[in-house]
Amino acid sequence: MNKKLASFAAGLLAVMMLFTSCGKGGKTTDTSKKDVAEVVKASNPSKMPDVSKNRKDTLIVGTTAPSGKFNPIYSDSVYDSWVVSLVFDGLISNDEQGNPTPLIAKEWKISEDGKTYTFTLNKGVKFSDGKEVTAEDVAFTFTAICDPSYDGPRTDAVSSLVGYEEYNQDKEGKVKEVSGIKVIDKYTISFTLKEPKAPAIYDFGYGIMPKHIYNFEKGNIKALKDKFLSPVGAGPYLFKEYKAGQEIVFEKNPNYWRGEPKIAKIIMKVTNANTVIQELTTGSVDVDRIPSKPEQIELVKKAEFLDIYSYPSNSYGYIGWNLRDEKFKDKKVRQALAYGLNRAGFIQAYYKGLGDVCNAPVSKVSWAYTDELNKYEYNPELANKLLDEAGWVKKEDGYRYKDGKKFTIHWMTYTGSKYVEALTPILIENWKQIGVEVIPELMEFSTLAQKVYDEQKFEMYNMAWSLSIDPDPSGIFSIEQDKLGGFNSVGWRNEESERLIKEGLKETDMEKRKQIYHQWVKLANEELPYLFLSYAKDTYAVSSKVKGLRLSPFTDWTYDIHKVELVDVK
Amino acid sequence: MIPVLIGVSIIIFLIFQAAPGDALTGMMDPKMSYETKQKIRKQLHLDEPAIVQYKYWVQNVIRGDFGESFYFKQPVGRVMNTYIWNSFYLSLASFILSVLIAIPIGVISATRQYSFIDYFFTVFALIGISMPSFFFGLLLIKWFAVDINLFPVSGMMTPGSTAVGFEKFKDVLYHMVLPLTVLTLGSVAGLMRYTRSSMLEVIRQDYIRTARAKGLREKVVIYKHALRNALIPVVTIFGMWLPGLFSGAMITEAIFNWPGIGPIELLAVNNRDYPLLMGINMLLAFLTLLGNLIADVTYAIVDPRIRLK
Repeated sequence: MNKKLASFAAGLLAVMMLFTSCGKGGKTTDTSKKDVAEVVKASNPSKMPDVSKNRKDTLIVGTTAPSGKFNPIYSDSVYDSWVVSLVFDGLISNDEQGNPTPLIAKEWKISEDGKTYTFTLNKGVKFSDGKEVTAEDVAFTFTAICDPSYDGPRTDAVSSLVGYEEYNQDKEGKVKEVSGIKVIDKYTISFTLKEPKAPAIYDFGYGIMPKHIYNFEKGNIKALKDKFLSPVGAGPYLFKEYKAGQEIVFEKNPNYWRGEPKIAKIIMKVTNANTVIQELTTGSVDVDRIPSKPEQIELVKKAEFLDIYSYPSNSYGYIGWNLRDEKFKDKKVRQALAYGLNRAGFIQAYYKGLGDVCNAPVSKVSWAYTDELNKYEYNPELANKLLDEAGWVKKEDGYRYKDGKKFTIHWMTYTGSKYVEALTPILIENWKQIGVEVIPELMEFSTLAQKVYDEQKFEMYNMAWSLSIDPDPSGIFSIEQDKLGGFNSVGWRNEESERLIKEGLKETDMEKRKQIYHQWVKLANEELPYLFLSYAKDTYAVSSKVKGLRLSPFTDWTYDIHKVELVDVK
Repeated sequence: MIPVLIGVSIIIFLIFQAAPGDALTGMMDPKMSYETKQKIRKQLHLDEPAIVQYKYWVQNVIRGDFGESFYFKQPVGRVMNTYIWNSFYLSLASFILSVLIAIPIGVISATRQYSFIDYFFTVFALIGISMPSFFFGLLLIKWFAVDINLFPVSGMMTPGSTAVGFEKFKDVLYHMVLPLTVLTLGSVAGLMRYTRSSMLEVIRQDYIRTARAKGLREKVVIYKHALRNALIPVVTIFGMWLPGLFSGAMITEAIFNWPGIGPIELLAVNNRDYPLLMGINMLLAFLTLLGNLIADVTYAIVDPRIRLK
């Protein structure tokens, strides 16, 4: 039982992406903006346990155990990046819709050709040790990612910089700097890319490291790794103590450049999904993510002193079908299978109101989303009609045949997931109705990943994508990714899509870029390279004494944390 | 011992390598290109055949370097040192408690075979053995942490606590009560049955009848003559417990967020973190061998019959 849960968690982790540029506070001058999260207020805050009531200067946030890579260029889990967000500030941040906003950089300019980004830093921003943040520190941070010995997950943020290869390939230490990174003066720095790349702006959200602390000799990044557990940055909180597997303690940075934080102490306490509700209702933690399941939410409501925040997560579940396979080549067949699956029914049964039907590979909250989509509502008659048109004929055994071959799909899926357990009977039954036989095959998540991505040996599989903040789909759907190990494992090769993806990558004008993605989303919705299944919601329980959290798919609880406060509860 | 360890290391290494995927397969980040992954694979030597990777590993181990964990990006020794002692404290406490409870109960059950008390403990043992720790842990949390609020839900110390010395010890003990109960229930049951059957066998021996016949008090017969002999096989299983003290209790530790090595092992398996897996497993292999050696030696000490002349 537990092993199952654990491997499910592992599966989830495996698809978790880096929300690294999220979660930093930007200037939110526009207060008219609608909150993305829906909040159900606590019905009776006075029910709060005394232990929590009396904890007036400390906020305790539940977390899954982080891995201890507390560094802006190494953190690769959501939990590590929370730590990084509290301790470090980046050049830019983003708002709740994912639009980039200024942070340490008060403004930036993108050159006409879309290749050069010039950032002007705010003056007087100080690291917590009192030294000022300068363009040198920014240059150091990004040069560190270019280092030949760097083995973290950020390489793609710098690999398109001019001079990256020269610096990275040079093992003798002859090349001293990356030519695409230019310090213009103390407060101005420019980055030059080889090609225009619109999503690049989000790469400047990574926290800035103080050069005088993290500096290391080229090729010897170990010196930097040794400082994982003593991070120092210009962020709102100071890192005090880390007890691996237990907790991380932070104290406010009294000299934080955007104003002294209102909460004196923050503790990130390790909790787990089995007992998170108990931790919350006994007042051991003030903020924690809870499973988006009605039973769990009911328990939280019963405690009466917890607010419930929920918002659509930046991820979706899907079924991938191998488009090299004759069966799936025909668009009509794909559409028929979409019409023939009662997705709304499945989502209602599984999420009970805490999920949504997904029809396109982009978050509903994102600026790239448009609602002008075909909804593919459950319609077995239409599905049957489309299959007839595609030449799949129903025989007396109830299944469809074409050229003497039965319509049978081998569906590879992974063990230990309640989602899969709920989907399986519905999918098999629904498609049987339209004459399609499905044979599920269960395997461990890593095995499935290998078959799907490294070997591309599958007919159909299901997984989920957690997206990053930029909607650029090239990482998943470009033709370039259609190779062994690439993410376009279904083999979608569509000229129109390719053209739009390339345009979207080049266009740095937000408004124009938006239009491009709207077109692309509509195309994906029409062509169905995947059978899009569901959007989940993320749910947080927050003690009613905590005021000012702004949760959204693009901003986590560390966002504008210096403005969050704890109020007295009677 | 050394050849055995080498053999073990080869087998473990090959088994891990045979598992599908590697450390980067699970990292499905569309922001991380295939080229970047290949580059990292090359840096970590994951693109080379298993046997070559094994060679690198052995070369480093000879120099006393167990490599760097792929997942933690820290030396394996440092990662293990961070977590393993927490497991050790919990397991050691459970071990001591189990012995203190199980042996007297085993003796009582044996001396009053088929009595009410014997049946009572037999039922108790059955429950203990069959109760899943996952379920029992959650039950204890519900009763003692939520309903009557006596013990904390999870963790090893009060959040933010800066206590040292005796205060710290008290705090850890307080957090340990529930996980300790779960672990102990499981092991008491087994050890108790073991003691009982061993004791029953001894009581039927001729020399016990002789002892009784020469008019010794029942207490002396049982605790001096019988128990000593009954414990010989029991003592030897203590040696086998040595690796158990360090291997961590995966399920119990996970439920109670005890920062032990158990969940870390699982994490290493799921992330195909070979250096860390090898580190942990080699330590356990070494301890198993050491435990066997200790068991043999203790056996010789407590049982003069098998001493080499």
